[in-house]
Formats: sequence, C-alpha cells, structure tokens
Amino acid sequence: MKTPIFAFILSIIACLSARAELKWEQTAVELHPAATDKQAVGHFKYQNTGKTPVHFKSVHPSCGCTTAQTQKELVQPGDKGEITATFNIGDRTGTQIKTVTVETDEAANQKTVLTLKAVIPQQLDISPAFVFWKQGEKPDPKQISVKVGKDFTVKHIKVTSSTPNFQTKVEDTGKGEFKIDVTPQDTNKLVASMLTIQPEDSQKTFYATARITNAPVAPVAPVVPGGPTAPARPTAPTDQTH
Amino acid sequence: MAALALLPAAGEAIYFRDKISWRSAIPPSESVTVEQAHAWGENAIWIDARPDDEFARDHVPGALSLNEDRWNELLPQFLAVWSPGKKIVVYCSSLSCNASREVARRLRKEAQLPDVLVLEGGWEAWLKQR
Repeated sequence: MKTPIFAFILSIIACLSARAELKWEQTAVELHPAATDKQAVGHFKYQNTGKTPVHFKSVHPSCGCTTAQTQKELVQPGDKGEITATFNIGDRTGTQIKTVTVETDEAANQKTVLTLKAVIPQQLDISPAFVFWKQGEKPDPKQISVKVGKDFTVKHIKVTSSTPNFQTKVEDTGKGEFKIDVTPQDTNKLVASMLTIQPEDSQKTFYATARITNAPVAPVAPVVPGGPTAPARPTAPTDQTH
Repeated sequence: MAALALLPAAGEAIYFRDKISWRSAIPPSESVTVEQAHAWGENAIWIDARPDDEFARDHVPGALSLNEDRWNELLPQFLAVWSPGKKIVVYCSSLSCNASREVARRLRKEAQLPDVLVLEGGWEAWLKQR
C-alpha cells in the first residue's frame, strides 16, 4: 500500500522538477552604431537548461522599425540559440530603446522582454530646423544654430538654398558651433526653400527649411461713413520667434 | 515556492507600469481627444506617425505622413503646409506605440513649433469615432 503512494508522490515531484527553462545570457543589449549605419543588430543568446523542450509561441517587436528572428521554433533541452533583433534606424536620432517580447510555453516564465538600446551618434544638432517669416513681415535675418556632436570634428560646413529666394551666411563661432543667418529676398510671396547643410568630409547631409507663410488674418475695425476712421486694432504678437 | 518567487516581479511590474515610456501618461497639455481635435476643423493639421505601409492602408482623411523612418524627406512636406495658428494633431497606433510622442517631441524641439499635441487613444480612438 505504501509503495504505490510513495511512487505516486515521487512521480509528482518528478513532474514538478521536469520543467522547461530558457536561460538568457542577457536580456538587454546596448549598441553604438556608426553615424552612417542603416541598422543596429542585437543578438540575444539563450540556452534551454530544463528537461523538456521549449516552444517559441510568439516573438513580437515593439515597433515596425524592429524585426526579430528566431533560429528555431523548438529548443531541445541543452540546446542553445539566439534571437536576432534588427532595428532599422531610418532618420532617428539620439538614444532609441526598442523591445522584443518573447512568449514561450514555459510554465514559470512565459514572457520575456528583450531590450535593445541603440545610441545613435548625431554629427550635427540643428536648431531650429525651421525658420519662417509671415507674409509682409520685415525680411530680417533669422539664425539657425549648428552644434557639432561631441564625438565629431567638423571644421567647415557648406549651406546651400534650393531656391534663390533665401540667402545664407555661415559663421564659425568656434567651440564646435556654427551660426547660419538666413535672409529672405522679400516676404511678399509665399515661397519655401530647403537648406542643405553639408559638413566637410562627411557622407551625411542635413537639412533645414526656410519659408514665407500665410499671415494670420487680423480683425479689421469697421469704417463709419462721414466720420473719422477708427484706428485699426494692432495685430496680436505671436510667440513665433526664432 | 514558485508563486513566492513571482511576488517581487509582480510588485515591480505594478510599480513600474508607468515608467515604460509608451505607457507613461501624456501630460494633458500635450494631448488632445478625438472630439477636441474634430472641433478645431480646418484649424488642425493631422499627422500620421505610423510606418508608410500602415498609412497607405488607411489614415485620417487629409492627414500627412510624418514618421521617423523618412523624417528628413517628409518633414519639409509637412512644413510646406503648416502656417501660424494651426494646431498639429499627431497620432499612431495606440497599441504599445511611442511613434506619435517621438514625432511630437521632434516637432517641438527641432522645428520649434507650438501647439503640437498627441491624439489620445491614437488611430484606434479615431476609428471608433468614425
């Protein structure tokens, strides 16, 4: 009588201990792609340290800019493998954090979040990237600041306007900064121009936009026939200063 | 024993649920509901921050595509239609999506545009109202 009970208890213990277990070498990876790289690739290695196979049910990146590939759908006990996460950098800047959520059929730990951190070097920081004048506004120059990233050396930049409606003048202030003065020929016509900013000896090109925009319509005071003309209400100032 | 081991993890998941960027609440001053955005009518420019293929499948009528995959190419197209006084409403898919916040952040920081707001609930919220 005791033997079957003992065997039953042993079998329960055996079942509890015979679990699948995926051990990850690391679940967070930091990458430092070059300024001209199009992709950043992270490798997340694992091993099945359990006694039963592990099946990948889903591998889900946090955004459409990231894809994830598993080497195999089923990981046998003792087997190793990796999930490769590829982050398409596009025109992103700064520190980007993307995740891949992995779901398996493990009882104890069904979801694992793999984190890919990509620090994208920025050769130039352009501020603002957009300068504009309202139609009829005085065509005074407006300034764009160009700061060189700390890991870069840029001695000279070339700025060209896509239309002759805007003139540009570059000043090197030293200390890794340039100032671009942008001046419209006039502000009568609604025109726009793309300013191309090219660092010397660099494959990468940067852009800013200059434009003459519609002026907001100002309210007009009514005219009284035969009497003195009421003074027009002044246009309310905006906070659009660059 | 396994359940006890899960307690610290569960505690962290609850405590840090708002610390994951795309799950953090957007400040009210930087967000707008579908109803509010609709009320602005032609005074609003709608920006779709989703990838090109999602925009091509369907989008808010009249919305412009502006995503970080092709930021340098798409930004000038958007700036060509913006004018002072316009409200900018940025949306993406609401499911674990950070794209609209990033696009909004870059419009405020890089183009220094005012009145840039993220649509609460994103594309899905707009679909419900359609």
